[in-house]
Order: sequence, then structure tokens, then C-alpha cells
Amino acid sequence: MNYLEMKDITKNFGAINALQGVDFNIKAGEAVGLMGDNGAGKSTLMKIIAGNLRPSSGEISVQGKEAVFSNPLDARRLGIEIVYQDLALCDNLTAAANVFLGRELRSGFGIIHRLKHAAMNERSAELFKELKSETRPKDLVERMSGGQRQAVALARTRLSDPKLVLLDEPTAAISVRQVAEVLARIAQLRDTGHAVILVSHRMGDVFEVCDRVAVLRRGRKIADKPIRKSSPEEVTGLITGALEAA
Amino acid sequence: MLSEKRLSFLIDNLIWIILIVVFTFFVTQSEHFLTERNISNILTAAAVLGVLVVGQTFVLISGNFDLSTESTMGLGAMLGLWLIVPAAAPTFGGGIFLNPFLAIGAVLLTGAAIGYAVGCLITFGRMHNFIVTLAVLLIVRGFILAFSEGAPVNGFNNPSAEVFYWLGHQKAFFIPGVGNITVAVIATGLLFLVSHFILQHHKFGRELYAIGGNRKAAEQLGINANRRIRQVYMISGLLAALAGWMLAGRVVSIQSNLGEGFIFTVFAGAVIGGVSLQGGRGTMLGALGGVLLLSTIDRGLNLMHVSVFWVKVIQGLIILVAMFLDAQRVRLRELSLPVVSYTSEKKSESET
Repeated sequence: MNYLEMKDITKNFGAINALQGVDFNIKAGEAVGLMGDNGAGKSTLMKIIAGNLRPSSGEISVQGKEAVFSNPLDARRLGIEIVYQDLALCDNLTAAANVFLGRELRSGFGIIHRLKHAAMNERSAELFKELKSETRPKDLVERMSGGQRQAVALARTRLSDPKLVLLDEPTAAISVRQVAEVLARIAQLRDTGHAVILVSHRMGDVFEVCDRVAVLRRGRKIADKPIRKSSPEEVTGLITGALEAA
Repeated sequence: MLSEKRLSFLIDNLIWIILIVVFTFFVTQSEHFLTERNISNILTAAAVLGVLVVGQTFVLISGNFDLSTESTMGLGAMLGLWLIVPAAAPTFGGGIFLNPFLAIGAVLLTGAAIGYAVGCLITFGRMHNFIVTLAVLLIVRGFILAFSEGAPVNGFNNPSAEVFYWLGHQKAFFIPGVGNITVAVIATGLLFLVSHFILQHHKFGRELYAIGGNRKAAEQLGINANRRIRQVYMISGLLAALAGWMLAGRVVSIQSNLGEGFIFTVFAGAVIGGVSLQGGRGTMLGALGGVLLLSTIDRGLNLMHVSVFWVKVIQGLIILVAMFLDAQRVRLRELSLPVVSYTSEKKSESET
């Protein structure tokens, strides 16, 4: 059964049709590469899945049940985590504060509570250790290297036990060595039964870790096929418009 | 060369060093400065400013600012007394004879409503906070003038007015070496303490820092930034009205221009205390330091018999110094950041 199923998704921004009748689905343990040129609608589709945007029309179901995301927390509750292209970090906060932002551990009841700083620092340290990162929980994000910032964003996705992880251009702003580490993490996620959607401009990354590739052009899905039945040349043709559809 | 940690500590605690230097300077300049009466005066004068600075600090940390609070403070003071005292001379009230406790409730509610309205205009109306708060500053001040026709409201020998004056007027206890501690000072101290806890140890404070630091990221992670911004403006309005209630007890006769120009001192207090105009940075304790510094300077100049004309010049200079310090904090922070990212990482890779 598909973990996530999207049917006939349309998203309009005024007169602009960012997505038009897009169908998309993904199973647990599957990694799908989402490709397309700038303005193709990749980020819009990701934001709809992550609960940042609501579709103008269409249906979304998670594990066979209809789902309506009115904000990112709704998507998180259903096990959908996202790593944004800009990593969505607050430079003025510590690594641990960023990891737990929006999901802080608290003691007390309702509005009368106190943040559990020590517990959040401890858990963040464990997550960084799992990610083999030297990031320290109490360090300010503004003092971190690109790799450490990436580790903070990735650590967020491991706070809960996510079922679907969205990665928006995770290798766009890191060094060659770190790209290999990120790809290994994606493969590890897939192999441990997580569904992974990878948005990337880097053809090599998609062909290395994904099982399937979906191509968007001008808001429409024009291809969705197994990686083994496609080639970088074909995908390039689909993205640029040299090929109509596949 | 200072280490990164020490530099960071110095930036964060600069206000206390400045406060000690300024305090020591005035001690050497006036024999009356280190008296119980003067210390008590410094603390009492700091109370009203402190309440406004607390509200402004919440707003600034969320990456916004509120110019309207001085007018809301003036309205709070005048409205409360007007609801209580007779219409005839010499009090010039509304002749409503409202119970003073209800009048206090009305004052606080009015302040919170003005603040919330400002927040709604900024978030729902998508209007710039500078323009909105400037407009509200003028509207509320104009309303006070039109409402009072420029005449002061007084509470001379009125028992109900005495209840209203209690917060700003009443002495609570005496501390040897410090002098009389007023209820206003205790209230402001508690307010700083609670606000410090909220900013540092409560989810609300954590979200304000996140919104001020990177609003887009905060929203991507599910934080409702617009709702939080409406809430901080409501807090700011509520505290401005509280400051008005407090001030009424100190001045007794409420003039229609009460608090005019005070907003610059409020900004100076917060910014000198390390609260950044860029949002996302600063602490309530730092803001407290800023308030104590301004109050100390005010009393010190007074004791040195500096002309009121020169006091204006000095106040302007203090605001300039506050802005300069804010800019230098950003510069120092940038200087202390590691020059990392791609160049150094790629270099290490090519070496391997």
C-alpha cells in the first residue's frame, strides 16, 4: 500500500498555476527523486506534502486515510518530516533549540510550563552522535559550518520516528565529502523502511539513491518511472522539454 | 586578543560594566548621590520606564517595534482618573464616579485592546509596523487632547483617586542603605523576573526568539508567527497602560501631554541593555540594566544641577550611543564568527 497518495493536486497563486492535476504516490522503503527545472512546481509540491501550503484542489491520503494539513505540525504528526533547502535554521539559537523548535520538551501543564533544557541538550547530543557529527548542542548555529548546519536540520527529522522524509536540495550547499555522507543517510533511511522524497538538481544523486524518478514541467507531472528504466539523458530531455513525456 | 567566549560574554554583559562606571562617576561628582533618598529615587523613577521597556523588549525580540506605547501610557493614566473623579473643577474628571478597581480594569483592558488592534493591523492588514505604530501614537495622543480639551485631570483629596494612586505612590518597606522601596519598584521587579522566565524558559519566549531570528524558518516549522506578534503587541499595550496607572500615582495631576517623547527613552533603555533592533537577540536582564543606567544618569545629572537644556542634548547623545552599541554588537559578533563554510572545507578535501 502507498504510504502517501496525492490525486489531481492543483495549486494556484492568483493567475499562476503552480501545479495542475498532479498525481503522486510513494511507498514505505522507497526513495523517489523529484526533478524539474526552476519553476516546475517541485517546491510547491513539497510544501503541500509538508503542510506549508494547502492545495487549491485535489486529495491527499496518508496510509489510506484522507489527510488535511492545515500547518506543518499536522504533517509532522502523521510522520512526515522535511529538510528544507535553506535548512530552516535560526542562527540566533543553539543547535539543540533548533532541533526541538516547535516541539520543545516541557515540564508542567499547558501554558504553565518550563522548558526541559537539559533533556533537549542530551537528546540532541545523541542525535548528533548518531549522525556522526561533531556538532555540540549548546553551540549557536551562526557559528557552525555548512555540514554542522545540515546535521542540525537532519537531526530534526529523527526526533520522532518519521515514515516519510522530504529532502529539498540537501546536497546543494555542502562539500563533496558531505554529499557522500548525505547520500549514505538517504540510502540508510530507505533501507530501514522509510519513504524518502529527494528534490535535487543533481542527476547523479538521484540516480545513486532513488528507486524512482518523477519529473515535473510547468506544474505538470510528465514522467514517473523506475530509475532502472530511465537514464540521465532521458531525464535531462524531459526537464528541458527536448522530450515531451515518458 | 580576547577569546571567542570572553568576547561573547563581554558583548552580553556590557551594560553592567557601563552601569558600574557611570554609577561610580556620579558617586565621585556628588555627595548626595549615594544617599538612601537618591537610591530610592533612582529605583522609583526606573519603575515606570522599566514596565514600558519590558513590553518593548518582547516586541523587539519578535523582530518588531512599537512606537505607540507612550500615548497608550498617557491615555491609561488619564482615562483611569477621569473615570473616578468629579467633573467639576479642580479635578476635571468625567463625573462617572466609577469604582477605582473597575477603573484600573478598564485602563488595562483599553491598553491591551489598543495593542491587539495594532497587532491585527500589522498581521491581518499586512501593514508596516513603523507606520502602524506611528499612526496609533498620533491617534491616541490626539484622542487624549480632544477628550480632555487640553485640560489636566486631577485627583486632589479624592479618596477613590487615592486608591488609583496606590501603585505609583505607596511605600512598601525600607531597606537600610537603599531607602524606601515603593510598591511600583516591587511590581516592576516582579515583572522583570516573570518576563525573564518567559523569555528563557517558556515555549512562548523560545518562539519569539525564533520569529525574530528567522521568521520564515519559524513558520516552516509550524510556529504561528502572526499570532505571536499579535500577542506581543497586546502585552506591550497592556504594560503601557500599567505604566500609565503607575505614573498617575507619581504625578497626581495628569496632563494631556503626559509621556510625550518618552518612547525614545524606552528604545534607548532596551537597546543599551543589549536588545537588538534587528530582532531575536537580547535578554530581560540586559534590558533591566539599560533601565537602571538611564535612571542613574537622569538622577546623576539632576544632582549635578545640569541645565535642563543640556539634559535634552545628553538624552539625544544617549540614544545615539544606544544605536552605536547595537551596530557594534552586530559587528563584533560577525568578527567573532568562524570564517568557515565552503572554502575551508573544500581546502581540507583537496588536501586529502
